[in-house]
Amino acid sequence: MLLPELFALLSSDLFLLLSLLTCLLEERFPKAVPYIYQVAALMGFGHLAVSKMFLTVFDVDLRFWYNFFYLAVGLANVVAVNLYLAVSKKTWILAKVWSASVTFPTVFISIFFIYNYGYLQGATFPMLTVDLILMLAVVILGITVAVLLSPKLLRRR
Amino acid sequence: MKNLKIISNIKLKKSSKFLILLLASILVGTANAAIFYSLTMQPQVIVSTPVIKFDHADDEPAGSTVDDAWCSLTAKSYPNATLTYEQAVNLINTDSVNAHLFRLTYISITPANGSANVGNWTSIKFLVYSSTGDYVFSLNFTVSGNNWVLAPASGQTAYYSIPASTSWSIRLETLSPAAATEGEVCRIQITVDVQ
Repeated sequence: MLLPELFALLSSDLFLLLSLLTCLLEERFPKAVPYIYQVAALMGFGHLAVSKMFLTVFDVDLRFWYNFFYLAVGLANVVAVNLYLAVSKKTWILAKVWSASVTFPTVFISIFFIYNYGYLQGATFPMLTVDLILMLAVVILGITVAVLLSPKLLRRR
Repeated sequence: MKNLKIISNIKLKKSSKFLILLLASILVGTANAAIFYSLTMQPQVIVSTPVIKFDHADDEPAGSTVDDAWCSLTAKSYPNATLTYEQAVNLINTDSVNAHLFRLTYISITPANGSANVGNWTSIKFLVYSSTGDYVFSLNFTVSGNNWVLAPASGQTAYYSIPASTSWSIRLETLSPAAATEGEVCRIQITVDVQ
């Protein structure tokens, strides 16, 4: 059985990944960013610790939503860094590489785990809401990637 | 040459920064994984009513305690005469669909083995009867000297299948020797194990 805390673990690892990658690309980011992501990863540790302490108090739906929210924030940061590289820094090649090697894998791994969780839990939480959020995220991601790969798409009209 | 020195200094700074972040990441990642692992190992105990449970019956001895999973019966016995409680306690299969296997297990008895008071009884028998009145099995306590002799000797009966939504009864038979002391009390606790 998948635990909802898996999302917090996944998101915390995403923040650690972002911290290391933004450190490697430090010329393109404000100096504080890698450390902020480390703190965000530590917050994941807090999420897990709270879940462990209140396992018998919090019901499974509540645990799912606060862990899912944390994962959504992690994924939003991955996409935000991607957009920052593309739009603000105009580093198109780096943005494409980031999109293919970080954004796409993380988003789809997250979707895979969320669907698996919903399936194994018998979807006791409102799956329709999660479906809509994920579908919206995928559509936005698809458009963003298409624009990143072919910036001329925006100029055709 | 001077420029090269500056660049090498910058690289060293970046690599040391990366090393610190990497070590911190390993630390945080390991701590997270350890907590998550302990969460997956957390046992979940669900409180539920037993499928097969004891229930009060018409001839339940006064002063007895009947719980879902166990019962403690306080029965009288007469010297040289067998006293029978036709329906001392009932066993009910609450599952409306499936038959279930169950057995009776002896937990405790007072007076305990070795006590001279044990000699105030000759035998105490728990006989299980089906809803149609047929004998199914028994758990017996007979006295030998100052000790209780259990039958079956393990204090546990074999497993028997009780049909869905069926109530079986336990008949309690007690017998004391002619020289038994009036007012002595024997308490037996048995449980029902459901497979």
